[in-house]
Amino acid sequence: MDDDLPTDFQVIVVGTGMVESIVAAACSRIHKNVLHLDSSDHYGGLWASYNFDGLQKFIKEVNSDPEKQVQVYNLTEQWYIEKESPPEDEKGEGEAKAEDGKTDPPKKIWSQANFASEYRKFNIDMTPKLLFSRGPLVELLISSNIARYAEFRCVTRVLTWMNDRLMPVPCSRADVFATEAVSILEKRMLMKMLTSIVGYNEEEMNNEFKDWNDKTFKEYLEHKGLSANLIHYVLFAIAGGTEGMPCLEGVKECKKFLMSLGRYGNTPFLWPMYGSGELPQCFCRLCAVFGGVYCLNRPIDSVETKTVEEGKTVVVIGSKSKTLNCDHLVIGINECPKDLVSPEPVATSDISKAVFITNGTIMQSEKEPLTLLRFPPLIEGGGAVTVLEVGPATGSCPKGLFVVYFITNKVADAESDLKPYAEKIFDMSGGDQTEDSEKPKCLWSLFYNVKDTSAAAESASACVHVCSGPDAGLDFDRAVEQAEQIFKKICPGEEFLPRAPDPEEIVFEDDVTHGPEFEREQEDEADGDAPKE
Amino acid sequence: MHGRVKVRTSEEEKARKEKERQEKLKVFKNAMQKIQLKRQQCEFDKDLLELTGKVLMSNPDIYTLWNIRREILQQIKNINTEDDLTKVFDDELSMTEYCLKINPKSYCAWHQREWMNEIFIPGTIVEFVVSQCKSSLQDEFDYTTEKLLDNFSNYSAWHYRSKMLLQLYPDIEGGRPIQDIYHKHELKMVQNAAFTDPDDTSAWFYQRWLLGAFKSTVNLVLCTVTQFKTTIAFSKHVSYDYVTSKSRVIVNENVISGDWISLSGNNHDTLWILGHNVSINDDMNIKVEHNGNEKNEIISCFKYKHMTYIGKSDICFQNNYSHPIIEELNEQLKACRQLLVLEPDNKWTLLTTTIFLHCIDSKLYYQETIQNLQRLKKLDQQRAGYYNDLLTKWSIEEQLPLDYASKDLVFKPTFSEKITILPHLQYYSFCEVVDLSNQNLCSNILPSLIFLQHCKILILRNNKLHTLKGFPNIFLEKLDIQGNKDISEEELKHFKDSHDFVTIF
Repeated sequence: MDDDLPTDFQVIVVGTGMVESIVAAACSRIHKNVLHLDSSDHYGGLWASYNFDGLQKFIKEVNSDPEKQVQVYNLTEQWYIEKESPPEDEKGEGEAKAEDGKTDPPKKIWSQANFASEYRKFNIDMTPKLLFSRGPLVELLISSNIARYAEFRCVTRVLTWMNDRLMPVPCSRADVFATEAVSILEKRMLMKMLTSIVGYNEEEMNNEFKDWNDKTFKEYLEHKGLSANLIHYVLFAIAGGTEGMPCLEGVKECKKFLMSLGRYGNTPFLWPMYGSGELPQCFCRLCAVFGGVYCLNRPIDSVETKTVEEGKTVVVIGSKSKTLNCDHLVIGINECPKDLVSPEPVATSDISKAVFITNGTIMQSEKEPLTLLRFPPLIEGGGAVTVLEVGPATGSCPKGLFVVYFITNKVADAESDLKPYAEKIFDMSGGDQTEDSEKPKCLWSLFYNVKDTSAAAESASACVHVCSGPDAGLDFDRAVEQAEQIFKKICPGEEFLPRAPDPEEIVFEDDVTHGPEFEREQEDEADGDAPKE
Repeated sequence: MHGRVKVRTSEEEKARKEKERQEKLKVFKNAMQKIQLKRQQCEFDKDLLELTGKVLMSNPDIYTLWNIRREILQQIKNINTEDDLTKVFDDELSMTEYCLKINPKSYCAWHQREWMNEIFIPGTIVEFVVSQCKSSLQDEFDYTTEKLLDNFSNYSAWHYRSKMLLQLYPDIEGGRPIQDIYHKHELKMVQNAAFTDPDDTSAWFYQRWLLGAFKSTVNLVLCTVTQFKTTIAFSKHVSYDYVTSKSRVIVNENVISGDWISLSGNNHDTLWILGHNVSINDDMNIKVEHNGNEKNEIISCFKYKHMTYIGKSDICFQNNYSHPIIEELNEQLKACRQLLVLEPDNKWTLLTTTIFLHCIDSKLYYQETIQNLQRLKKLDQQRAGYYNDLLTKWSIEEQLPLDYASKDLVFKPTFSEKITILPHLQYYSFCEVVDLSNQNLCSNILPSLIFLQHCKILILRNNKLHTLKGFPNIFLEKLDIQGNKDISEEELKHFKDSHDFVTIF
């Protein structure tokens, strides 16, 4: 196989994370000759989604060989359920109960063995993220026509933690109208606040906020006469901020949230079916459609830059005793040899993450919910915590379960940063899964820290482009922005991901070198559609 | 080059799209032709129902097709049994539901639903259908709730809701249009909408409709008997049949026989003349009886002057709400007042506050409502005309009881604001002198002067009349129309020539 791989490319991309994949697609789309490599056997790197088996392998790998996944640490996995399912006779008892007139079927009693046997039904994200309905990624997916490779679900509700309980956040006009949680006077104040923020253009922003540069968003909201409840909704849930959030940042975050309302669902957010890990793959697919060559399980051993003639530099990559040459190397920060990155990326706060699998949603609703929950900081000095709860309808887990992601900036370690929040909304005591309790039972949990490699890293060579890792943010906006910047450096003046044609727009012609027989058949089938010359 | 994707040029793509469009058009034209043909041949069958359905499902806004469907449904209704009809009914509803998914505000589709419930079903009512009908009304009502929760900027949904509300929850015992608890709920709901987005007028319309849904009765308000004419006035329009069967003029214990005549010539009117041949003298006992829906009213007439008898009732313009509704309105008034402290210049808050004040107790809050309207005129100049009309109406409603207590036969409004319209003019039909000088009346009020059946001197000096077209045929001794600068000399001359009154310029 190795011998089949050509050795000279215009662009070689190493790593299949979000930024790398977008750059690969963009280069391939304008007919650059692209090779895309990944050292592991799956797409996405730190942006990947795993089924339950894949996740177990990942955990094992991190624990057994910390060198291989240097960016992940403090990883603790815990089960809250039995290894094996209870014996048959207990099940029978459960069914008998149902016949006794209980309307709900008895809750399934999950065991570790059930998880293992249904492992394929899980899609658990390492980097769960949402898309703003009018954000740069949605616009890019549409304008490039890559959206046809992906499916999305609307986030159905935004929740927050207020007065020691979960509360839905009225964020759209319809929500504000329907909610009973705020008085009508508050409704007016809230709508006035939100519509004025949406209405501000750049100039008005500068006017309205010229004296607010050094003040907090909370001070601004208080100045506008909003009640404590409303301030909580706007500051923590809509702007996703903290007490100290600067005013202008708060206004910008609010505006971003509000501008994305009303496009697809009742909230501003979309969630990719089968997890965020699908998205890098969509871009890879486009890259391949336009002739990009893919090679997984292909680590690289060395990177060198060589000046071949005046002003022309070639990047030479050693991989499995083969030498690959390219004009530009695009490389994920985690795969990149340290000597190519200069200066060292700024040390930022790392990220604390957790994944929980539960036997029910954190707050009942009529249809299966897809939830964004934003916790205000509950611990002195801690940050806000973002929670995403996704259910079976998103292809994330089997029926009867929910996958819940927690993300915050690291203070101590993932477990002590996030467990106090998890305990607010889950029953983490293990025990009888069938008992009726207000909180869903936590069946399994995973805490881990990830190094924040999201700061843009400059490379030492103009031909090597280093891609950042995932950030703690809610959306993909920074990844899209960075990918476009890298593309502009590689292909100055070229269009970034112009619209890819639909299959029916593609012409099948005779003048290409004939391939094997099946291509000919395809040609005949297309006869009806394609105009003959 | 190998491995490159070849894409159609934009020209080719355009041609391909155009071809697709032409195909669609052909199918559409074909279907429309078939439909027209079948209709011409009066084939109102299920086939045609299906044909029209197919087209409407891709474009729900073709009125003609909905009309044809109603024709078909009428036919089906006459032939089929109850069981079949239930299915037809359900199918039609789900069909409109589908169309409303394409266009949630499609007027035709909403109308079709309404028609199904009001026209189609009642005609087929047999006992067992009634309960079914009630539950389907409830479904319809819930459907509007669902649509409004999605987006309350939907006139059709509010309107349809108002129809359902009257049918589902009438307060038959209390004689009110809507049962209190539902009325309250709706008021709350619409207030939520109004506070969420005050710039959305659909909610305001519904609120005004709700405020208008109070118990209202027809009252006899006035009877004037002179040697020339006998007139009676009602608080509302009543029909010829109503006035003939429910009112009697009794002179010296004898019921006067005669025919009632409406001055406007319409079947419904507020002022009626009794044509009779009883001669009036100065020594008579005259009263009028009105057998209203609730109670029997009797107005006794008193002699005001030589051969002029007038009977006036106790009049009241206060909206008659039930106690729970008044409580709710007071609650909402409180919220409005709080908001007004925060946003003193917000016109919609001020207007709503004012309307609540008027609805709760127009007499008690009279001064405040007038001041608010004057402020609104300045805040919202585009609607100054509307506020002027409200000022006039509420001023006259305040003034009328006072005028009724007086023995004068004069109507002379002297409010701080000039009047712009002449509401409730039938109440002043007894006056001999009507002095409307120095007001802001325009020529559009002229036809309503027909109510001044006993007027001798009419003063319209210094108004904004621009023409005398529409001046009614009334017999005056004196008419003063000086100072209406926009009436042309020519028209004045012509008017003078054709009228025999003493006219001053």
